[in-house]
Amino acid sequence: MIRFEQVSKTYPGGQQALRQVNFHIAPGEMAFLTGHSGAGKSTLLKLISIMERPTVGRVLINGHDLNTIRRQQIPFIRRDIGMIFQSHQLLMDKTVFDNVALPLIIEGYTHKEVGKRVSAVLERVGLSDKSRCLPIALSGGEQQRVGIARAVVNKPPLLLADEPTGNLDPKLSMEIIRLFEDFNQAGVAVLIATHDLGLIARMRYRTLTLKKGQMITDGLTEDWPGEDDEPAI
Amino acid sequence: MSLLFKGRSQGAERTGIALSQRIVMFFVSHVRQALSSLGELWRNPAASMMTIAVLGLSITLPSTLYILLKNTERVSAGWDQASEITLFLHRDTQAGDIHQLQTRLGLWPEVESVVHIDKAKAMEEFQQLSGFGEALSYLDNNPLPDVLLVTPTSKHTSPTAAGLLLDKLRKEREVEVGQLDIQWLERLHGLVGIAKELVSVVALLLFLAVVLIIGNTIRLNILNKRDEILVMKLVGATDAFIQRPFLYTGFWYGLLGGLLAWVTVALLLWWMGDSISKVTQLYQTQFKVDGLHGQALLLMLGLSILLGLAGSLLSVHKHIRAIEPK
Repeated sequence: MIRFEQVSKTYPGGQQALRQVNFHIAPGEMAFLTGHSGAGKSTLLKLISIMERPTVGRVLINGHDLNTIRRQQIPFIRRDIGMIFQSHQLLMDKTVFDNVALPLIIEGYTHKEVGKRVSAVLERVGLSDKSRCLPIALSGGEQQRVGIARAVVNKPPLLLADEPTGNLDPKLSMEIIRLFEDFNQAGVAVLIATHDLGLIARMRYRTLTLKKGQMITDGLTEDWPGEDDEPAI
Repeated sequence: MSLLFKGRSQGAERTGIALSQRIVMFFVSHVRQALSSLGELWRNPAASMMTIAVLGLSITLPSTLYILLKNTERVSAGWDQASEITLFLHRDTQAGDIHQLQTRLGLWPEVESVVHIDKAKAMEEFQQLSGFGEALSYLDNNPLPDVLLVTPTSKHTSPTAAGLLLDKLRKEREVEVGQLDIQWLERLHGLVGIAKELVSVVALLLFLAVVLIIGNTIRLNILNKRDEILVMKLVGATDAFIQRPFLYTGFWYGLLGGLLAWVTVALLLWWMGDSISKVTQLYQTQFKVDGLHGQALLLMLGLSILLGLAGSLLSVHKHIRAIEPK
């Protein structure tokens, strides 16, 4: 599903964010991406959603080289990727319903279809009764669930989350991760970047660890932080 | 169709909705965005009114000048056709001869009519109108000659034909001087020509200013909505989708500004109506000023909308592209 081949990223100014990163995430797989802040987690996610381009190497999604994607095609790539952010990135002057409906409206769904899908996905994240609220009236955990609802409302095959539990207490964090597990079980590939090691430790999922831009471990949580016993790619 | 995943179609394609309905949806979404842009203007009435006023007043000036020019042309076109030849007769010509001459000339095929202005009558009129009334009464005898006003038939009103007729008339024994006054008409045309060019230049400069002002207003709108645009880009909105509401804003500015200009022009013409009719009375012509109607009105509204769109397009192209999620 996602394949990195010898990917390096150097920002203008010489800061090297990623060095020769290789890995592959299979369709329907769920994995964590971890490392200290500044290790390159966000950069890696940005390369997948083409917010940044690699300096060297190739990023492939479903076998398509993202280097060949032209600027005008980027929006269509992003429609295949559900993205969740620590800062939620919600429109604060629009209702929960309108926020979640945004991807569908962009894609030109009919009014009826939008209503149906948004209700269904809000039900799934447990916010049916809040659809007419403004995000500002919701708690942090609820706002994050609005963000998740928006990311999955058009049923993308791939879900990226950047510190989705960043501001949440452990119990709420776990709820959010359970939600991701639900979607994963429905066949969606999920990649979650987090520095919440306690959270990862309680789960049994493949974990990719970055340190100063290099992939230092890639394996199941139970092996973590042991040596890399599985070849990358 | 998804670029990355074969078999995964995006958006409305997947839901199996008929093409016809999707086309309908396209227009529905356009109308929705247009109305929401209008709503946005409505919610910021002070700022919107100022922009609309700038646009409207900027269009009012060239429109008013254009109308005045058009009307001047209409009037002078009428004068062009009615060119008259003035014949000043020898002072010693007898009344009988004058009458004979008048009848003779009236029979010429080139001549429509001949009017005799008696020298005594002319003197009376001159005394009344010139303001030299007192001074003129000291003169021993009437210095004015008898005058015949010859109106050529419509075939002979063009400057060259009228010139030929004038030459023929001058050969008449009783005629001392003949005048065909087309020089002042040529001068008038020259002045109108200059005025026309001036209007064009002023209009061009004002239009340019309007485009820049609208462009700047839309730029501020875009910067105000930076966060929203970022989010929309993150969830896969194309630039075309994002810029549409801003283009509609430009459209509304143009339309409303154009309507304002229309009203202002009408008010101006009404305001100036009195002084215009005074001038036309001096020329003893029945004359009504043509306002903005039909084609000219549509042209002005179209131009105004075009300016609004051009301004927003200028801004949208540059600034929406520049906002990218990082």
